[in-house]
Amino acid sequence: MGPGPSLNGDIPSTAVRRVLALGGHDFTSRPPDRAVCELLLRLASERGGERPRICMLPTASGDPSEQIGRFYAAFGERACEPSDVSLFRLGRRPMELRDHLLEQDLIYVGGGSMVNLLAVWEAHDIASILSLAWRRGIVLAGQSAGAMCWFEAGITKSSGKPLAAAGLGLLPGSLCVHYNNEPERRAAYLAAVAEGMPAGYGLDDYAGLLFEGEGTPSAFTARRGARAYRVAARDDEVTESPLPARFLPAPAPAALREDIAEFRRIKTMRKRAGWLG
Amino acid sequence: MKTAPRQIVAFGGGGFSMESGNPLLDDYVLGLCQAERPRVCFLPSASGDADHYIVRFYRAFSAHRCEASHISLFRREQGPSDLRRHLLSQDLIYVGGGSVLSLLGVWHAHGIDAILREAWESGVILCGLSAGSLCWFAEAVTGFHGAPQQLEGLGLLPFSNCVHYEPGSERREAYHRFLREGMVPGYAAEDGAALHFIGEELSQVVSSRPKARGFRLDVSGHRVVEMQIATTFLGEKGVAPEAPFPEALSTAVAPG
Repeated sequence: MGPGPSLNGDIPSTAVRRVLALGGHDFTSRPPDRAVCELLLRLASERGGERPRICMLPTASGDPSEQIGRFYAAFGERACEPSDVSLFRLGRRPMELRDHLLEQDLIYVGGGSMVNLLAVWEAHDIASILSLAWRRGIVLAGQSAGAMCWFEAGITKSSGKPLAAAGLGLLPGSLCVHYNNEPERRAAYLAAVAEGMPAGYGLDDYAGLLFEGEGTPSAFTARRGARAYRVAARDDEVTESPLPARFLPAPAPAALREDIAEFRRIKTMRKRAGWLG
Repeated sequence: MKTAPRQIVAFGGGGFSMESGNPLLDDYVLGLCQAERPRVCFLPSASGDADHYIVRFYRAFSAHRCEASHISLFRREQGPSDLRRHLLSQDLIYVGGGSVLSLLGVWHAHGIDAILREAWESGVILCGLSAGSLCWFAEAVTGFHGAPQQLEGLGLLPFSNCVHYEPGSERREAYHRFLREGMVPGYAAEDGAALHFIGEELSQVVSSRPKARGFRLDVSGHRVVEMQIATTFLGEKGVAPEAPFPEALSTAVAPG
Protein backbone atom coordinates (compact mmCIF):
# COMPACT_ATOMS: atom_id res chain seq x y z
CA MET A 1 0.00 0.00 0.00
CA GLY A 2 1.33 3.41 -0.93
CA PRO A 3 1.69 6.60 1.08
CA GLY A 4 -0.77 9.45 0.89
CA PRO A 5 -4.36 9.83 2.00
CA SER A 6 -6.21 6.57 2.34
CA LEU A 7 -9.57 5.95 0.75
CA ASN A 8 -11.61 6.16 3.91
CA GLY A 9 -10.62 9.71 4.63
CA ASP A 10 -7.93 9.01 7.20
CA ILE A 11 -5.42 11.76 7.64
CA PRO A 12 -2.37 11.37 5.45
CA SER A 13 0.58 10.75 7.68
CA THR A 14 4.14 11.91 7.35
CA ALA A 15 5.06 10.15 10.57
CA VAL A 16 8.11 7.90 10.58
CA ARG A 17 7.02 4.28 10.26
CA ARG A 18 8.66 2.19 12.92
CA VAL A 19 8.79 -1.52 13.57
CA LEU A 20 10.71 -3.20 16.36
CA ALA A 21 11.33 -6.89 15.63
CA LEU A 22 12.64 -9.11 18.43
CA GLY A 23 14.05 -12.60 17.99
CA GLY A 24 12.67 -13.74 21.31
CA HIS A 25 12.16 -12.46 24.85
CA ASP A 26 9.66 -12.54 27.67
CA PHE A 27 8.32 -10.07 30.21
CA THR A 28 10.28 -11.26 33.21
CA SER A 29 12.39 -9.31 35.66
CA ARG A 30 15.63 -10.76 34.27
CA PRO A 31 18.10 -8.11 33.07
CA PRO A 32 17.79 -8.69 29.29
CA ASP A 33 13.98 -8.62 29.53
CA ARG A 34 14.15 -5.38 31.50
CA ALA A 35 16.44 -3.94 28.83
CA VAL A 36 13.87 -4.80 26.13
CA CYS A 37 11.06 -3.23 28.19
CA GLU A 38 13.09 -0.09 28.63
CA LEU A 39 13.53 0.17 24.87
CA LEU A 40 9.81 -0.41 24.26
CA LEU A 41 8.99 2.30 26.78
CA ARG A 42 11.47 4.72 25.23
CA LEU A 43 10.08 4.19 21.72
CA ALA A 44 6.53 4.63 22.99
CA SER A 45 7.50 7.82 24.86
CA GLU A 46 9.12 9.29 21.76
CA ARG A 47 5.67 9.29 20.24
CA GLY A 48 3.37 9.64 23.20
CA GLY A 49 5.29 11.76 25.70
CA GLU A 50 5.24 11.18 29.44
CA ARG A 51 2.48 8.60 29.61
CA PRO A 52 2.49 6.74 26.33
CA ARG A 53 -0.12 4.11 25.56
CA ILE A 54 1.18 0.59 25.08
CA CYS A 55 -1.15 -2.14 23.93
CA MET A 56 -0.43 -5.85 23.95
CA LEU A 57 -1.93 -8.21 21.35
CA PRO A 58 -1.50 -11.78 22.67
CA THR A 59 -3.47 -13.29 19.76
CA ALA A 60 -0.72 -15.63 18.55
CA SER A 61 -0.96 -17.77 21.66
CA GLY A 62 -4.72 -17.55 22.12
CA ASP A 63 -4.71 -14.73 24.70
CA PRO A 64 -3.40 -16.75 27.66
CA SER A 65 -3.75 -15.01 31.02
CA GLU A 66 -0.17 -15.74 32.13
CA GLN A 67 1.33 -13.90 29.17
CA ILE A 68 -1.01 -10.96 29.67
CA GLY A 69 -0.23 -10.97 33.39
CA ARG A 70 3.52 -10.78 32.75
CA PHE A 71 3.00 -7.88 30.35
CA TYR A 72 1.09 -5.93 33.01
CA ALA A 73 3.67 -6.84 35.64
CA ALA A 74 6.37 -5.35 33.40
CA PHE A 75 4.54 -2.14 32.52
CA GLY A 76 1.94 -1.69 35.25
CA GLU A 77 4.19 0.37 37.50
CA ARG A 78 5.91 2.30 34.74
CA ALA A 79 5.10 5.68 33.28
CA CYS A 80 2.69 4.43 30.62
CA GLU A 81 -0.86 3.27 30.09
CA PRO A 82 -0.75 -0.44 29.34
CA SER A 83 -3.73 -2.29 27.87
CA ASP A 84 -4.38 -5.50 25.99
CA VAL A 85 -6.66 -6.51 23.16
CA SER A 86 -7.70 -10.12 23.68
CA LEU A 87 -9.75 -11.17 20.69
CA PHE A 88 -10.74 -14.42 22.39
CA ARG A 89 -12.16 -12.52 25.35
CA LEU A 90 -14.23 -9.92 23.56
CA GLY A 91 -17.30 -11.70 24.88
CA ARG A 92 -16.54 -10.51 28.36
CA ARG A 93 -14.84 -7.28 27.40
CA PRO A 94 -16.29 -5.77 24.24
CA MET A 95 -14.28 -2.86 22.83
CA GLU A 96 -14.02 -0.76 19.72
CA LEU A 97 -10.94 -2.44 18.28
CA ARG A 98 -10.15 0.16 15.67
CA ASP A 99 -10.48 3.15 18.00
CA HIS A 100 -8.51 1.48 20.73
CA LEU A 101 -5.64 0.39 18.51
CA LEU A 102 -5.35 3.74 16.73
CA GLU A 103 -5.11 5.52 20.10
CA GLN A 104 -1.91 3.70 20.99
CA ASP A 105 1.70 4.84 20.79
CA LEU A 106 3.10 1.33 20.65
CA ILE A 107 1.44 -1.97 19.81
CA TYR A 108 3.25 -5.05 21.03
CA VAL A 109 2.45 -8.44 19.50
CA GLY A 110 3.29 -11.55 21.52
CA GLY A 111 4.66 -14.83 20.22
CA GLY A 112 2.92 -18.11 19.44
CA SER A 113 1.46 -19.44 16.23
CA MET A 114 2.10 -17.09 13.31
CA VAL A 115 -0.47 -18.91 11.17
CA ASN A 116 -3.18 -18.54 13.82
CA LEU A 117 -2.19 -14.96 14.52
CA LEU A 118 -2.74 -13.93 10.92
CA ALA A 119 -5.88 -16.06 10.54
CA VAL A 120 -7.52 -14.54 13.63
CA TRP A 121 -6.47 -11.03 12.62
CA GLU A 122 -7.98 -11.65 9.22
CA ALA A 123 -11.24 -12.80 10.81
CA HIS A 124 -11.41 -9.63 12.89
CA ASP A 125 -10.07 -7.32 10.20
CA ILE A 126 -7.13 -6.28 12.38
CA ALA A 127 -4.43 -6.25 9.69
CA SER A 128 -5.75 -3.16 7.96
CA ILE A 129 -5.97 -1.33 11.29
CA LEU A 130 -2.37 -2.22 12.13
CA SER A 131 -1.20 -1.12 8.73
CA LEU A 132 -2.91 2.23 9.26
CA ALA A 133 -1.43 2.50 12.74
CA TRP A 134 2.03 1.93 11.26
CA ARG A 135 1.50 4.63 8.65
CA ARG A 136 0.48 7.00 11.42
CA GLY A 137 3.72 6.42 13.28
CA ILE A 138 2.41 4.11 15.97
CA VAL A 139 5.34 1.82 16.77
CA LEU A 140 4.66 -1.81 15.87
CA ALA A 141 6.68 -4.20 17.98
CA GLY A 142 6.73 -7.87 18.75
CA GLN A 143 8.71 -10.98 19.40
CA SER A 144 8.81 -14.33 17.63
CA ALA A 145 5.55 -14.73 15.64
CA GLY A 146 4.82 -11.15 16.68
CA ALA A 147 8.02 -10.04 14.91
CA MET A 148 7.81 -12.20 11.78
CA CYS A 149 4.24 -11.11 11.05
CA TRP A 150 5.38 -7.67 9.84
CA PHE A 151 7.59 -9.12 7.09
CA GLU A 152 6.75 -10.71 3.76
CA ALA A 153 7.57 -14.12 5.15
CA GLY A 154 8.83 -16.01 8.17
CA ILE A 155 9.58 -19.50 9.39
CA THR A 156 6.92 -20.75 11.76
CA LYS A 157 6.34 -23.91 13.75
CA SER A 158 2.58 -23.28 13.69
CA SER A 159 2.04 -26.72 12.15
CA GLY A 160 4.62 -28.48 14.30
CA LYS A 161 7.60 -28.58 11.97
CA PRO A 162 9.27 -25.32 10.89
CA LEU A 163 7.72 -24.15 7.61
CA ALA A 164 7.65 -20.96 5.59
CA ALA A 165 4.60 -18.74 6.04
CA ALA A 166 3.58 -15.42 4.54
CA GLY A 167 3.36 -12.37 6.79
CA LEU A 168 1.58 -9.02 6.39
CA GLY A 169 4.40 -7.64 4.25
CA LEU A 170 4.67 -4.18 5.83
CA LEU A 171 8.42 -4.74 5.78
CA PRO A 172 10.21 -6.16 2.74
CA GLY A 173 12.05 -9.46 3.03
CA SER A 174 11.84 -12.24 5.55
CA LEU A 175 12.65 -12.92 9.20
CA CYS A 176 13.61 -16.00 11.18
CA VAL A 177 13.45 -15.83 14.99
CA HIS A 178 15.02 -17.87 17.85
CA TYR A 179 17.97 -18.20 15.50
CA ASN A 180 20.47 -19.50 18.03
CA ASN A 181 18.03 -21.64 20.00
CA GLU A 182 16.26 -23.64 17.34
CA PRO A 183 18.69 -25.15 14.83
CA GLU A 184 15.87 -26.82 12.87
CA ARG A 185 14.15 -23.48 12.36
CA ARG A 186 17.41 -21.91 11.18
CA ALA A 187 18.03 -24.83 8.79
CA ALA A 188 14.51 -24.48 7.37
CA TYR A 189 15.14 -20.76 6.87
CA LEU A 190 18.43 -21.25 5.07
CA ALA A 191 16.78 -23.84 2.81
CA ALA A 192 13.81 -21.55 2.12
CA VAL A 193 16.05 -18.60 1.23
CA ALA A 194 18.09 -20.88 -1.04
CA GLU A 195 14.87 -21.86 -2.76
CA GLY A 196 13.77 -18.30 -3.37
CA MET A 197 12.21 -16.93 -0.20
CA PRO A 198 13.05 -13.21 -0.12
CA ALA A 199 16.31 -12.52 1.73
CA GLY A 200 16.08 -11.19 5.25
CA TYR A 201 17.29 -11.52 8.78
CA GLY A 202 17.96 -14.08 11.46
CA LEU A 203 17.50 -12.94 15.05
CA ASP A 204 18.76 -14.73 18.15
CA ASP A 205 16.72 -14.51 21.34
CA TYR A 206 17.37 -11.05 22.81
CA ALA A 207 18.58 -9.63 19.50
CA GLY A 208 16.40 -7.17 17.62
CA LEU A 209 16.07 -4.84 14.68
CA LEU A 210 14.60 -1.37 14.68
CA PHE A 211 13.20 -0.30 11.31
CA GLU A 212 12.71 3.45 10.98
CA GLY A 213 11.35 4.81 7.71
CA GLU A 214 12.77 3.29 4.57
CA GLY A 215 16.38 2.99 5.71
CA THR A 216 18.32 -0.08 6.76
CA PRO A 217 17.39 -1.24 10.25
CA SER A 218 19.63 -0.82 13.25
CA ALA A 219 20.47 -3.96 15.20
CA PHE A 220 20.67 -4.18 18.97
CA THR A 221 21.14 -6.88 21.54
CA ALA A 222 20.00 -7.13 25.12
CA ARG A 223 22.18 -10.09 26.02
CA ARG A 224 25.90 -10.57 25.45
CA GLY A 225 26.45 -12.97 22.58
CA ALA A 226 22.98 -12.55 21.04
CA ARG A 227 23.26 -11.58 17.41
CA ALA A 228 21.35 -10.35 14.41
CA TYR A 229 22.26 -11.68 10.97
CA ARG A 230 21.62 -10.55 7.44
CA VAL A 231 20.70 -13.71 5.52
CA ALA A 232 20.84 -13.68 1.72
CA ALA A 233 21.34 -16.01 -1.22
CA ARG A 234 24.47 -15.30 -3.22
CA ASP A 235 25.72 -17.53 -6.07
CA ASP A 236 23.88 -20.70 -5.00
CA GLU A 237 24.93 -20.16 -1.43
CA VAL A 238 23.11 -18.65 1.49
CA THR A 239 25.25 -16.33 3.57
CA GLU A 240 24.71 -15.27 7.16
CA SER A 241 26.48 -12.03 8.02
CA PRO A 242 26.35 -10.83 11.63
CA LEU A 243 25.25 -7.21 11.85
CA PRO A 244 26.99 -4.71 14.09
CA ALA A 245 24.67 -4.37 17.08
CA ARG A 246 24.36 -1.84 19.88
CA PHE A 247 24.22 -3.36 23.36
CA LEU A 248 21.23 -2.36 25.47
CA PRO A 249 22.17 -2.33 29.13
CA ALA A 250 19.51 -3.43 31.59
CA PRO A 251 18.23 -0.81 33.99
CA ALA A 252 18.29 -1.75 37.63
CA PRO A 253 14.96 -3.12 38.83
CA ALA A 254 12.94 -0.24 40.23
CA ALA A 255 12.67 -1.64 43.73
CA LEU A 256 16.38 -2.25 43.97
CA ARG A 257 17.60 1.00 42.58
CA GLU A 258 18.03 2.74 45.93
CA ASP A 259 19.76 -0.25 47.49
CA ILE A 260 22.11 -0.63 44.57
CA ALA A 261 23.01 3.03 44.64
CA GLU A 262 23.76 2.69 48.35
CA PHE A 263 25.82 -0.46 47.76
CA ARG A 264 27.80 1.28 45.04
CA ARG A 265 28.51 4.25 47.28
CA ILE A 266 29.85 1.93 49.95
CA LYS A 267 31.89 0.01 47.39
CA THR A 268 33.44 3.23 46.09
CA MET A 269 34.25 4.34 49.62
CA ARG A 270 35.86 0.99 50.37
CA LYS A 271 37.87 1.13 47.17
CA ARG A 272 39.08 4.59 48.07
CA ALA A 273 40.01 3.36 51.49
CA GLY A 274 41.91 0.47 49.93
CA TRP A 275 39.73 -2.26 51.49
CA LEU A 276 39.06 -3.99 48.22
CA GLY A 277 42.52 -3.78 46.76
CA MET B 1 -14.84 -46.30 6.58
CA LYS B 2 -17.90 -45.78 8.70
CA THR B 3 -21.30 -46.19 7.11
CA ALA B 4 -23.12 -44.42 9.92
CA PRO B 5 -25.42 -41.50 9.09
CA ARG B 6 -24.18 -37.93 9.20
CA GLN B 7 -25.03 -36.40 12.57
CA ILE B 8 -24.66 -33.00 14.18
CA VAL B 9 -25.83 -32.05 17.67
CA ALA B 10 -25.88 -28.26 18.05
CA PHE B 11 -26.29 -27.06 21.65
CA GLY B 12 -27.82 -23.65 22.26
CA GLY B 13 -25.57 -23.63 25.30
CA GLY B 14 -24.82 -26.24 27.94
CA GLY B 15 -22.77 -29.34 28.54
CA PHE B 16 -19.68 -29.30 30.74
CA SER B 17 -18.76 -25.78 29.57
CA MET B 18 -21.83 -24.18 31.07
CA GLU B 19 -23.62 -26.72 33.21
CA SER B 20 -21.16 -28.38 35.53
CA GLY B 21 -23.11 -30.85 37.62
CA ASN B 22 -25.55 -31.46 34.79
CA PRO B 23 -24.04 -33.92 32.29
CA LEU B 24 -27.29 -34.64 30.42
CA LEU B 25 -26.32 -33.14 27.06
CA ASP B 26 -22.81 -34.58 27.20
CA ASP B 27 -24.24 -37.99 28.11
CA TYR B 28 -26.65 -37.71 25.21
CA VAL B 29 -23.94 -37.14 22.58
CA LEU B 30 -21.77 -39.88 24.07
CA GLY B 31 -24.76 -42.20 23.98
CA LEU B 32 -25.14 -41.64 20.23
CA CYS B 33 -21.76 -43.26 19.64
CA GLN B 34 -21.84 -46.90 18.61
CA ALA B 35 -18.55 -47.80 20.26
CA GLU B 36 -18.44 -49.11 23.81
CA ARG B 37 -15.60 -46.75 24.64
CA PRO B 38 -16.05 -43.94 22.15
CA ARG B 39 -13.16 -41.85 20.91
CA VAL B 40 -13.94 -38.22 21.64
CA CYS B 41 -11.82 -35.32 20.44
CA PHE B 42 -12.25 -31.83 21.85
CA LEU B 43 -11.56 -28.77 19.70
CA PRO B 44 -11.16 -25.74 21.99
CA SER B 45 -10.08 -23.42 19.14
CA ALA B 46 -12.79 -20.83 19.81
CA SER B 47 -11.35 -20.18 23.27
CA GLY B 48 -7.79 -19.82 22.00
CA ASP B 49 -7.14 -23.33 23.39
CA ALA B 50 -7.54 -22.10 26.97
CA ASP B 51 -5.83 -24.51 29.36
CA HIS B 52 -8.55 -24.43 32.02
CA TYR B 53 -11.13 -25.33 29.40
CA ILE B 54 -9.14 -28.34 28.18
CA VAL B 55 -8.74 -29.53 31.76
CA ARG B 56 -12.48 -29.28 32.29
CA PHE B 57 -13.12 -31.29 29.13
CA TYR B 58 -10.93 -34.15 30.39
CA ARG B 59 -12.69 -34.01 33.74
CA ALA B 60 -16.10 -34.30 32.05
CA PHE B 61 -15.06 -36.93 29.50
CA SER B 62 -13.09 -39.10 31.87
CA ALA B 63 -11.13 -42.17 30.83
CA HIS B 64 -13.62 -44.71 32.20
CA ARG B 65 -16.35 -43.70 29.77
CA CYS B 66 -14.44 -42.74 26.63
CA GLU B 67 -11.06 -42.28 25.02
CA ALA B 68 -10.65 -38.53 25.15
CA SER B 69 -8.18 -36.34 23.27
CA HIS B 70 -7.94 -32.74 22.18
CA ILE B 71 -6.30 -30.74 19.42
CA SER B 72 -4.66 -27.41 20.22
CA LEU B 73 -4.15 -25.50 17.02
CA PHE B 74 -2.09 -22.97 18.96
CA ARG B 75 0.35 -25.68 20.05
CA ARG B 76 0.71 -27.96 17.08
CA GLU B 77 4.17 -29.10 18.16
CA GLN B 78 2.32 -31.10 20.84
CA GLY B 79 -0.50 -33.50 20.07
CA PRO B 80 -1.28 -35.47 16.92
CA SER B 81 0.73 -34.40 13.89
CA ASP B 82 -1.68 -35.88 11.35
CA LEU B 83 -4.82 -33.91 12.11
CA ARG B 84 -6.88 -35.55 9.40
CA ARG B 85 -6.12 -39.06 10.49
CA HIS B 86 -6.77 -38.21 14.11
CA LEU B 87 -10.09 -36.50 13.45
CA LEU B 88 -11.36 -39.14 11.04
CA SER B 89 -10.66 -41.86 13.60
CA GLN B 90 -13.00 -40.31 16.19
CA ASP B 91 -16.55 -41.28 17.11
CA LEU B 92 -17.39 -37.80 18.36
CA ILE B 93 -15.84 -34.38 17.77
CA TYR B 94 -16.82 -31.86 20.44
CA VAL B 95 -16.30 -28.18 19.66
CA GLY B 96 -16.08 -25.70 22.53
CA GLY B 97 -17.41 -22.17 22.80
CA GLY B 98 -15.80 -18.76 22.44
CA SER B 99 -15.20 -16.61 19.40
CA VAL B 100 -16.75 -18.17 16.31
CA LEU B 101 -14.95 -15.74 14.00
CA SER B 102 -11.57 -16.72 15.42
CA LEU B 103 -12.60 -20.38 15.32
CA LEU B 104 -13.43 -20.30 11.63
CA GLY B 105 -10.30 -18.30 10.79
CA VAL B 106 -7.99 -20.70 12.61
CA TRP B 107 -9.74 -23.79 11.25
CA HIS B 108 -9.41 -22.54 7.73
CA ALA B 109 -5.70 -21.78 8.23
CA HIS B 110 -5.11 -25.38 9.32
CA GLY B 111 -7.46 -27.02 6.82
CA ILE B 112 -9.72 -28.28 9.62
CA ASP B 113 -12.87 -27.07 7.87
CA ALA B 114 -12.40 -29.55 5.03
CA ILE B 115 -11.46 -32.37 7.42
CA LEU B 116 -14.58 -31.82 9.53
CA ARG B 117 -16.79 -32.06 6.49
CA GLU B 118 -15.08 -35.30 5.58
CA ALA B 119 -15.48 -36.57 9.15
CA TRP B 120 -19.19 -35.72 9.13
CA GLU B 121 -19.70 -37.43 5.80
CA SER B 122 -17.98 -40.55 7.08
CA GLY B 123 -20.21 -40.74 10.16
CA VAL B 124 -18.18 -39.06 12.88
CA ILE B 125 -20.71 -37.26 15.10
CA LEU B 126 -20.09 -33.51 15.35
CA CYS B 127 -21.33 -31.51 18.31
CA GLY B 128 -20.66 -28.37 20.26
CA LEU B 129 -22.10 -25.40 22.04
CA SER B 130 -22.18 -21.71 21.25
CA ALA B 131 -19.44 -21.08 18.67
CA GLY B 132 -19.17 -24.87 18.45
CA SER B 133 -22.82 -24.99 17.42
CA LEU B 134 -22.96 -21.99 15.08
CA CYS B 135 -20.00 -23.18 13.05
CA TRP B 136 -21.87 -26.08 11.36
CA PHE B 137 -24.53 -23.91 9.72
CA ALA B 138 -24.55 -21.92 6.48
CA GLU B 139 -25.26 -18.72 8.39
CA ALA B 140 -25.31 -17.79 12.03
CA VAL B 141 -25.71 -15.00 14.55
CA THR B 142 -22.91 -14.28 17.00
CA GLY B 143 -23.09 -11.93 19.93
CA PHE B 144 -19.62 -12.68 21.17
CA HIS B 145 -17.90 -9.60 19.81
CA GLY B 146 -20.33 -6.97 21.03
CA ALA B 147 -23.45 -6.13 19.00
CA PRO B 148 -24.88 -9.27 17.35
CA GLN B 149 -23.56 -9.82 13.85
CA GLN B 150 -24.20 -12.35 11.11
CA LEU B 151 -21.57 -14.64 9.72
CA GLU B 152 -21.10 -17.55 7.36
CA GLY B 153 -20.28 -20.91 8.91
CA LEU B 154 -18.99 -24.13 7.37
CA GLY B 155 -22.36 -24.75 5.74
CA LEU B 156 -22.72 -28.46 6.52
CA LEU B 157 -26.32 -27.65 7.45
CA PRO B 158 -28.04 -25.36 4.93
CA PHE B 159 -29.80 -23.28 7.60
CA SER B 160 -29.13 -20.37 9.90
CA ASN B 161 -28.58 -20.80 13.63
CA CYS B 162 -28.79 -18.69 16.76
CA VAL B 163 -27.58 -19.91 20.17
CA HIS B 164 -28.31 -18.62 23.70
CA TYR B 165 -31.71 -17.77 22.27
CA GLU B 166 -33.18 -16.47 25.49
CA PRO B 167 -36.46 -14.53 25.50
CA GLY B 168 -35.88 -10.80 25.15
CA SER B 169 -32.19 -11.16 24.30
CA GLU B 170 -30.50 -8.78 21.90
CA ARG B 171 -29.41 -11.81 19.92
CA ARG B 172 -32.97 -12.95 19.36
CA GLU B 173 -34.02 -9.55 18.14
CA ALA B 174 -31.03 -9.36 15.81
CA TYR B 175 -31.72 -12.84 14.42
CA HIS B 176 -35.26 -11.83 13.48
CA ARG B 177 -33.91 -8.70 11.79
CA PHE B 178 -31.30 -10.69 9.83
CA LEU B 179 -34.02 -13.12 8.73
CA ARG B 180 -36.18 -10.26 7.48
CA GLU B 181 -33.14 -8.93 5.61
CA GLY B 182 -32.67 -12.21 3.78
CA MET B 183 -30.78 -14.58 6.04
CA VAL B 184 -31.60 -18.19 5.18
CA PRO B 185 -34.30 -19.65 7.54
CA GLY B 186 -33.09 -21.83 10.35
CA TYR B 187 -33.12 -22.87 13.98
CA ALA B 188 -32.50 -21.43 17.39
CA ALA B 189 -31.87 -23.06 20.74
CA GLU B 190 -31.98 -21.77 24.28
CA ASP B 191 -29.32 -22.66 26.83
CA GLY B 192 -29.82 -26.29 27.78
CA ALA B 193 -31.48 -27.26 24.48
CA ALA B 194 -29.76 -29.12 21.65
CA LEU B 195 -30.76 -29.60 18.02
CA HIS B 196 -30.00 -33.09 16.77
CA PHE B 197 -29.67 -33.34 13.00
CA ILE B 198 -29.45 -36.61 11.08
CA GLY B 199 -28.26 -35.78 7.62
CA GLU B 200 -29.67 -32.33 6.96
CA GLU B 201 -32.96 -33.08 8.75
CA LEU B 202 -33.72 -32.06 12.29
CA SER B 203 -34.34 -35.35 14.07
CA GLN B 204 -35.24 -34.06 17.51
CA VAL B 205 -34.63 -31.41 20.12
CA VAL B 206 -33.37 -32.63 23.49
CA SER B 207 -32.72 -30.66 26.65
CA SER B 208 -30.81 -30.78 29.90
CA ARG B 209 -33.28 -28.43 31.55
CA PRO B 210 -37.04 -29.10 31.68
CA LYS B 211 -37.94 -25.71 30.22
CA ALA B 212 -35.25 -25.20 27.60
CA ARG B 213 -36.67 -24.87 24.11
CA GLY B 214 -35.69 -25.13 20.48
CA PHE B 215 -37.28 -23.18 17.62
CA ARG B 216 -37.69 -23.27 13.88
CA LEU B 217 -37.59 -19.84 12.22
CA ASP B 218 -39.04 -19.01 8.84
CA VAL B 219 -39.90 -15.87 6.97
CA SER B 220 -43.32 -15.32 5.49
CA GLY B 221 -43.46 -12.10 3.50
CA HIS B 222 -41.77 -9.65 5.85
CA ARG B 223 -42.80 -11.50 8.96
CA VAL B 224 -40.63 -13.84 10.95
CA VAL B 225 -42.50 -16.97 11.98
CA GLU B 226 -41.09 -18.57 15.11
CA MET B 227 -42.32 -22.07 15.86
CA GLN B 228 -41.45 -23.89 19.04
CA ILE B 229 -40.33 -27.48 18.51
CA ALA B 230 -41.39 -30.21 20.91
CA THR B 231 -38.44 -30.89 23.17
CA THR B 232 -37.47 -34.09 24.96
CA PHE B 233 -36.13 -33.47 28.44
CA LEU B 234 -33.28 -35.90 29.04
CA GLY B 235 -33.57 -35.98 32.82
CA GLU B 236 -36.00 -37.80 35.02
CA LYS B 237 -39.52 -36.47 34.82
CA GLY B 238 -40.34 -34.22 37.73
CA VAL B 239 -36.72 -34.03 38.85
CA ALA B 240 -35.17 -30.67 38.14
CA PRO B 241 -31.48 -30.96 37.32
CA GLU B 242 -28.99 -29.47 39.71
CA ALA B 243 -28.35 -25.79 39.16
CA PRO B 244 -25.06 -25.11 37.46
CA PHE B 245 -22.24 -24.08 39.77
CA PRO B 246 -21.63 -20.35 39.63
CA GLU B 247 -18.02 -20.88 38.44
CA ALA B 248 -19.37 -22.55 35.35
CA LEU B 249 -21.26 -19.45 34.37
CA SER B 250 -18.26 -17.18 34.52
CA THR B 251 -16.06 -19.00 32.05
CA ALA B 252 -14.61 -17.55 28.89
CA VAL B 253 -16.67 -19.78 26.68
CA ALA B 254 -20.12 -18.34 27.08
CA PRO B 255 -21.78 -16.59 25.46
CA GLY B 256 -20.68 -17.70 21.98
